Amino acid sequence: MIIHQLALIKREIWEHRSIYVTPMAIASIVTLGVLAMLVFASGFAAELDLAIFGAQNLVGEPERIAALTAFFITTSMVFVVALAILTVFYCLDSLYAERKDKSILFWRSLPVTDAETVISKLITAIVVLPTAAVIGIIGTHIVNLIVMGIWVSMKGGDASVLIWGSVSLFDNWAAAFIALLATGIWMSPFIGWFLLVSAYTKRSPLLMAFMPLILIGIIEPIVIGTHIFAEKVLARGDHFPLIRTDNLDRFFDEEEWRVAEDAISLLTHIDVVQFFTSPATWAGILVCGLLSTGAIYVRRFRGES
Amino acid sequence: MTSLVSARGVSKRFGSIRAVDNVSFEIEGGKILGLIGPNGAGKTTLLKALLGLTDCDGQLSVMGLDPFKQRKELMQNICFIADVAVLPRWMKVSQLLNYVEAVHPNFSRHRAEELLTHTKILRNSKVRQLSKGMVTQLHLSIIMSIDAKLLVLDEPTLGLDIIFRKEFYANLLNDYFDEERTILITTHQVEEIENLLTDIMFINDGKILLDSPMESLADTYTEVAASGDAADRARGLGPIAENQMFGKSVMLFEGVNREQLQEFGELRTPSVADLFVAKIMEARK
Repeated sequence: MIIHQLALIKREIWEHRSIYVTPMAIASIVTLGVLAMLVFASGFAAELDLAIFGAQNLVGEPERIAALTAFFITTSMVFVVALAILTVFYCLDSLYAERKDKSILFWRSLPVTDAETVISKLITAIVVLPTAAVIGIIGTHIVNLIVMGIWVSMKGGDASVLIWGSVSLFDNWAAAFIALLATGIWMSPFIGWFLLVSAYTKRSPLLMAFMPLILIGIIEPIVIGTHIFAEKVLARGDHFPLIRTDNLDRFFDEEEWRVAEDAISLLTHIDVVQFFTSPATWAGILVCGLLSTGAIYVRRFRGES
Repeated sequence: MTSLVSARGVSKRFGSIRAVDNVSFEIEGGKILGLIGPNGAGKTTLLKALLGLTDCDGQLSVMGLDPFKQRKELMQNICFIADVAVLPRWMKVSQLLNYVEAVHPNFSRHRAEELLTHTKILRNSKVRQLSKGMVTQLHLSIIMSIDAKLLVLDEPTLGLDIIFRKEFYANLLNDYFDEERTILITTHQVEEIENLLTDIMFINDGKILLDSPMESLADTYTEVAASGDAADRARGLGPIAENQMFGKSVMLFEGVNREQLQEFGELRTPSVADLFVAKIMEARK
């Protein structure tokens, strides 16, 4: 079973090279962007020296950390957006392409059940894709911190204080990993839905996946006068129970410039217990399970077409 | 000998169409069975039912298993090549071998590698870079490296040129087939395979028209080329088909004694293709 799953997941990565190519491409683009910014900034030599001197001596440590953490969050967000798009396209393609190119006949000629196949795609969407994104995030951070460190040193700043001493790197990476995995679980009803559409639809999976969601969102308020679907389903991302909202508000509270020290580590904004004890998390897992079971049955009963 | 495949009253409907209509037959081990039928006859549907790719009504057992419910177990002992080149086009040859090796307990990587050394297929090529003939060679190399009791080939040589087709069947007979294994083939090019079949089955409109060992075809079916008065008298015995050729009437008889027919003209054992056409025309009457 486990050997099968590993082979199946490897197969998914072979087929969908974008799983690792996309994070690598983003990492390169971000690094190029940072390099361009540094080259541009170097043009203002006098102001820069002053700023670095100021950062080193005047500004408090929490502020420095907050500034670099903001860089962390911004670069990570690029990966998160890409991950979301990648996951949608991956899921919609995963059971559709094999029917389109008829290779499903070959896959089903091997002793692998439809359930094993669909589960491998689910694991790829919920675990493998976020993991690849986190590796991309970590790689981007390391490369860019090195680049910035060298640059600061060249300008006469103390990189060990300004760059490396400022950030709780492992805290932030652990936070990114937990957040992305939890996002996959939280949004898994959509992943299940996309897999079902991918197994079912005869054409344009993207349209077939989003049209019903949009239509229900429009029709419900008109016909019944409620907004339950829009609030509970379409806006599910807004209710993510992993994030401690009170803390995050403090982090982004610009009015109060001084950053609370305990709010800087991204891990402090994450509440895994709250996430796993939220009924909405389990309701989502249940819906994902039902929709994925639907995908298994469609693949099994449809035959070849 | 126990049956490898046993079908009792098997049917499959698509809406109001009966693709397979109350079919019963047995396939014993160690045979090469040709399943012949026109397009839309129900061949592929029947094969899919045997392979557990579609559910059906009636009793169907393959190696003692219910193909639809126990597909995973069944696939450990069955191999098949479907009527289209279905190897995933994005995959590299080496990835394909790695994958099959990981998921198939009866696959011999060593044997596959050995078979591939006789071809021009590179391990690093993607399937989409291979010609159709090479894809079939690759598929056959994989299939022949799987120790399976039943091999199902659905139009395996469709779209291949004559050289590849000959080579394909030669490989199959020389390197694969033995009394332990059973091969089930469907094809349109019946002339090419009739010499290697041990048994034959005709199917039309979801029904079986003929199910017979090849060697007893000659006992049951006889072709007579008669002319003039002899032709009229022969016609009295009720041929199942009649064609005009070089001014003679060529009549095909079923279950009529050879001695009885000898007086009308030259006797021949009909080719499978002729017999097939006659049976289909008879069924359409």
